[in-house]
Amino acid sequence: MIRDLRVTLFALLLAIVSGAIASAPASANPLLQIPEFEGLAAKASESVTVTLDSALLQMAARFLSADDPEDAEVRKIIQGLQGVYVRSFTFDSDFAYPQADIASVRKQLSSPGWQRLVEVRKRKEGTEVDVYVSVVPGSNKANGLAIIASEPRQFTIVNIVGAIDLDTLHKLEGDFGIPKLDIESKPERR
Amino acid sequence: MAPCSPEEELARARAGEPAAFATLVRVHQRSVYSLALRMLGNREQAEDLAQEVFLQLHRMLGTIASATHLQFWLRKVTTHRAIDSLRRRPAGEQPLQESEVHRVAVAAANSPDPLLQRHLESLIMQLAPAPRAVLLLRYQEDLDPVDIGNVLDMPVNTVKSHLKRSLATLRETFGLDRPRDVDANAGGMLE
Amino acid sequence: MSRDLEDLLRSGLRPVDPGEAFTRQVLARVERERERERERPPIVASRPRVHLFRWVSAALAASAVLAVVFYNIQERREQMQGLAAREQLLEALRVTSEKLDLAYQGVQTPSREDDEDSHDS
Repeated sequence: MIRDLRVTLFALLLAIVSGAIASAPASANPLLQIPEFEGLAAKASESVTVTLDSALLQMAARFLSADDPEDAEVRKIIQGLQGVYVRSFTFDSDFAYPQADIASVRKQLSSPGWQRLVEVRKRKEGTEVDVYVSVVPGSNKANGLAIIASEPRQFTIVNIVGAIDLDTLHKLEGDFGIPKLDIESKPERR
Repeated sequence: MAPCSPEEELARARAGEPAAFATLVRVHQRSVYSLALRMLGNREQAEDLAQEVFLQLHRMLGTIASATHLQFWLRKVTTHRAIDSLRRRPAGEQPLQESEVHRVAVAAANSPDPLLQRHLESLIMQLAPAPRAVLLLRYQEDLDPVDIGNVLDMPVNTVKSHLKRSLATLRETFGLDRPRDVDANAGGMLE
Repeated sequence: MSRDLEDLLRSGLRPVDPGEAFTRQVLARVERERERERERPPIVASRPRVHLFRWVSAALAASAVLAVVFYNIQERREQMQGLAAREQLLEALRVTSEKLDLAYQGVQTPSREDDEDSHDS
């Protein structure tokens, strides 16, 4: 059975380490403060709002089938996660959403501990995509992932909180379409 | 009993009527299966993928707003899953049943020129996944570049670029002169 | 060869019907999935046995029945919440994967039409 590659791709990207997140000196808070965007949902032609804390993730896990390979994949992904948060809005006209709210999220990602892995800027298409990980200082472990994607008619914010094994991520460079990620590069100075 | 409109059928399927969902499958399976088949080049994988799409539809019925949205959703999920599947294939692996794709396609096309048809099919299979999807959505599903861009989450200019390059490649291979009215037929969409 | 290429593509790419067997397979898988959902945490938990002996007062019997009803409602509510959480989770994974793909495309396929300001950090 062909599994949804999108689930598999994400599973590989977020290969979960076994064991607890290494304790470390103060690092970035992997949980972002994401605006609710209440007014935007009414204007949007489509919206996706997902707020799953640890309790809800465990609840969701109980309803994942042990027999379904896709569900099993999802179960592995969420084993070490503490939260999954998504806000995605699609509009019928270009840039119908306020940039200020997205800017407030970007600002949080400029704090120490967040490292930008991928930056895509396509001015002509009006597309910007940034992928960040929150890295536990002194280790190669990540405890958070953030994606901000801004397109003319859609913007999306994704925040995953939980243990992410960057070593495993590093080994997957170039495979399965995962972007080459320079894990060893120093965090950006801001 | 008068046949239901697409919206009524969708509403019944959302309400949990198995017969209504079965109708949705029958109505849309040609499009979904054909997209999968021509993307993957393998009948078994295409059937599997198409079945997965309908299974996912059944789970997500509550999020489908209208019959139009349903068509859009099916095309989007099918092409995205197919592209993902192709990316997972080991490099250099060829579709296993290209000849089968050809047999099926020739039967469907009722082509007066099977050799030409075969050549066309094999050329399409040689396109990279993204331009292949663009071509299929344009000429199998009859979508315009804006709708193709929405289905594939691709900027319109990139869609047009893929179309232009793919048609040029096919035209060159077939030795066709560039007709003046091709761009007009595309609704000026390649400008 | 003077045939218009676009006509050729349209006629050559007409949709193909996978047949009634395909439809049956889809519906069978849908039914199997429904079965699996039904076999999950039962809506009705193990009901406490209520032995309606004649010396049990009507009030006690009514209380016992009410307790079972509320318990079932709670179980049902939790089941629906759990299923909804599962759907949300799958949707979140889909969106995340989609945006990671967008990042991947931006890094892997810059073109003349696209801006060249895409890179790995």
